[in-house]
Amino acid sequence: MKKVHRHIQWEVSKNIGILGLDNPPGNYLESPECIPVTLLNQLIECEEVKALLVIGTGKHFSGGASREHLISMTQLDDKMIGIMENGKHLLEYIEHLHIPVVAAIKGVCFGGGLEIALACHIRICTSNSLFAFPESNQNIIPGLGGIYRLREQSSFLDTLKMVLGGDMIDAGEALQMKLVDDIVGNDELMGYSLSLLEKMTAGRPLKVIRYVMQALRNSSELSFAEAMKEETRMFCELAREVAGKGMSNEE
Amino acid sequence: MRNYNTITFDLVDGIGHIILNQPPSNVMNLLFFRELSDLVEKIDGMSTLKALVISGKGRHFSSGAQLDELLSLVGNGESGGKGINNHRLQEFLDRNYRTFLFFENLEIPVISAIRGVCLGSALELALFSHFRFCGEDAVFGLPETTYQLIPGIGGLSRISALAGKAKALELVLRGNTFPAEKALQYHLVDKILPKRMVVPFAVSFARSIMSNYRKGKSVIYLNKITMIHE
Repeated sequence: MKKVHRHIQWEVSKNIGILGLDNPPGNYLESPECIPVTLLNQLIECEEVKALLVIGTGKHFSGGASREHLISMTQLDDKMIGIMENGKHLLEYIEHLHIPVVAAIKGVCFGGGLEIALACHIRICTSNSLFAFPESNQNIIPGLGGIYRLREQSSFLDTLKMVLGGDMIDAGEALQMKLVDDIVGNDELMGYSLSLLEKMTAGRPLKVIRYVMQALRNSSELSFAEAMKEETRMFCELAREVAGKGMSNEE
Repeated sequence: MRNYNTITFDLVDGIGHIILNQPPSNVMNLLFFRELSDLVEKIDGMSTLKALVISGKGRHFSSGAQLDELLSLVGNGESGGKGINNHRLQEFLDRNYRTFLFFENLEIPVISAIRGVCLGSALELALFSHFRFCGEDAVFGLPETTYQLIPGIGGLSRISALAGKAKALELVLRGNTFPAEKALQYHLVDKILPKRMVVPFAVSFARSIMSNYRKGKSVIYLNKITMIHE
């Protein structure tokens, strides 16, 4: 892997982009926008990346923002809002990516780190992972959409327990509350996650991947009628290509 | 009741049996979709109908849509009338949405009794019914992406609603087949039974809920029936 930004490593393997959060030992995030959106976008587009894996280098995923960085951010006054918005935009970018994104989590996944994981489409973790929103213990709240995205996965109670209670939960509990989608052995994380992404994207044209992602997003963002109309449009376009008609030039 | 080529329909004691009738694979060709949409128009007017059970003739539910025929709707290679050919596939899909949506919106229970193979549009049809019971031998899948297509009749949104987005993403992009146990785990089916019991169970289940059926309360009925039969 090579360093492409402060605390960010990058590698492409079989059309799968691997984004490494790299600030050992705990991979604390110095900035909500841990990698500029424009850079991430460039990396993905340059090498025809068909899937993205987000992982922490070393023993942990990420412990989130350190207290020091939080304090130093507050000293930037008005700029703070802009910084938080940039962080949110990065996570929205990941959430809306046209390719599947897997968060591969081991060890600690707290705060802003958990918010990054929640923006990904699929979360796989090892049996020794731990999850928490410790913000309330510091008398603040998660600031990068974590509450919203957690609630999308889990019940009101479980969300409250984590966000307000500051509860630390383990892999089994995370699976039960649908915070993660699968648990693997501590040594199997990378292999399993890569294999999953490979099975989903190897041999699939980028367009098919893009349309599946779009249809999935539409199922929660559009009305049923609108989503079905879009699905028909996408299906017809793909069918035309398969039937060998080439790109229609009348749209 | 008109005789269809690809479907049989029988109304017995208030229960309508829709049987996909092109064994062994009960493939969903163009004629099938046309006949199915005709059938639902007839069903709309049946006042004595109290429940619907959908199954496949023989060992399988259905292998899904006939791909070559589907692609033929796109056009026959001639440049004339390209605009018209674009609409044929679109109209075909729109009509099938309306047909499937009809089943979902029915006020009477609609139950899919699935044995053997249930792939692609066949799974999409089953997902628009209110309940799904399957045999231990059942095999499911949405293999459209392996043909460089996407599920075209609401499959992605339906699977996402039942199994969650992550699983929906995996199943659709991988296009893999998966067995009854997985389908149950993903909440895509409600109960697994020995294969010979699937249709009889579906019928007796329909009978026991059809007089008091209100959508939304059906989960309670399901649990009651599970207790009685186990």
